[in-house]
Amino acid sequence: MNIPHIFNKRNRILLAELTKTDFKLRYQGSVLGYLWALLRPLMMFAILYIVFAKLLKFGSDIPHYPVYLLCGTTMWSFFTECTSQGIQAMVVRGDLIRKISFPKYIVVVSATLTAVINMLINVVVIIIFALINGVEFSFAWFLIIPAIFELYILSLGIALLLGSINVKYRDITSIWDVCIQALFYAVPIIYPISLIAESSIAAAKIILINPISQAIQDIRYLLITNETITTWDYVGEQNFFWKLLPIIITIAIFIIGALVFRKKSKFFAEEV
Amino acid sequence: MKRNIGTRTEIFDTTSNVAIKVTDLHKKFKLPTEQAFGLKQAIFNRLRGIKGYKEQKVLKGLDFEIKKGEFIGIVGRNGSGKSTLLKILAGIYHPEKGTIIVNGNLVPFIELGVGFNPELTGRENVYLNGALLGFSNEEMDKMYNDIWKFAELEQFQDQKLKNYSSGMQVRLAFSIAIRARGDILLLDEVLAVGDAAFQQKCNDYFASLHGNQTVILVTHSMENVTKFCDRAILIENGKITLEGNPKIVAKAYESLWD
Repeated sequence: MNIPHIFNKRNRILLAELTKTDFKLRYQGSVLGYLWALLRPLMMFAILYIVFAKLLKFGSDIPHYPVYLLCGTTMWSFFTECTSQGIQAMVVRGDLIRKISFPKYIVVVSATLTAVINMLINVVVIIIFALINGVEFSFAWFLIIPAIFELYILSLGIALLLGSINVKYRDITSIWDVCIQALFYAVPIIYPISLIAESSIAAAKIILINPISQAIQDIRYLLITNETITTWDYVGEQNFFWKLLPIIITIAIFIIGALVFRKKSKFFAEEV
Repeated sequence: MKRNIGTRTEIFDTTSNVAIKVTDLHKKFKLPTEQAFGLKQAIFNRLRGIKGYKEQKVLKGLDFEIKKGEFIGIVGRNGSGKSTLLKILAGIYHPEKGTIIVNGNLVPFIELGVGFNPELTGRENVYLNGALLGFSNEEMDKMYNDIWKFAELEQFQDQKLKNYSSGMQVRLAFSIAIRARGDILLLDEVLAVGDAAFQQKCNDYFASLHGNQTVILVTHSMENVTKFCDRAILIENGKITLEGNPKIVAKAYESLWD
């Protein structure tokens, strides 16, 4: 992946135009149109809220639990959308790859950018909900930007890595669907991490080493309540390696993804 | 797994009069045998020691050179390797062996209307297709009206593309494509579009390119070869069998069936 490519005018135009098209097409032909970008995660939140907060009484120890939950589901949707769309991007855009010559990562990035736009809209909603719920505004809110960025880099790394394999072996799409289902329960979105810590501290620590958990918990900590258990506070006592492990994993996945993608992208036109 | 070690380099040398130089170009494809798609089959094949694909040599050592300003025709039967050659020149496929030097900015038209989406309106498709050809939005704004005028479809701008007839789509695509300005144009069989009147416009366009621009045209139409080309190349079974005067090459091509 040649860095100057990103700044190349032609590639920037292409990226912008493909992202616009993706976004337009996503809600094409639906009555509510772009509103679905908002409604879908809100509805998912409503279901989870009724089941877990009201029926199962999770999170009674966490202040502003509904917003806390919404924040988690939004970031989770962002992660799943980014990775699923990114992995399939090359196959979906196969006709372009077969017919014109351009840096292939543009296709993956444009697919993930649509998810970024959706997520940003939803962050606005979270902030409104948070204010209604009585969360005080703080300048620490702006620190969620690096945490979201980390989550994006992780998603992009996974999309590049699995997407380049998916060109030849389409099984990856299905395998990743299952992985996402499993991961959903391995990340403290619907349950508070304290629930796990009650029965096994080791398990809670392992869960928090997952970069997705770390990013989501950090965002909750910054945005909603500092009673959120974060990786930084909970894992590895004085050992910074353990505390930084999620970030190391993220960077490693991204680098591996980018390298594999670069190596394989020469043959996408023939294989897709 | 060592394959595809050929190189394709783009240079911008204004002092040289060579536009494209191809040396000993080879290309083979791995064609999957039976059902080598999918992970299961791939693992099975590896365990059984089956390759799962068979190699097909498409290009077997091509050498040629194209001068700046030349209009070159590439002819050959279906499956002779013409399109593969064009795709390698365009940088879509990677050469397996050999070197390609492209001097200048190359604009390929492997197919008209790349990226056209039936769900988008004509207007949106024009901008998308323009971006794929390397135009900025401002550039597109400037030539927007001319595009529709040339295509003679002004009144359909805000219709979705799925409501266009296939002839209309091709006309629109062609009319965007000809805006592209490059030092070298690669055209794959895009001449024959539209009705007689539109055809005339296209011919005028190609005639206007003649002498001003380096053009590589892949075609089956010997009429176009003799009309537009300065030189022609005949490809058979991945090799150049004849190169030179378009009339002679056209005759040789036609005699392939005798």
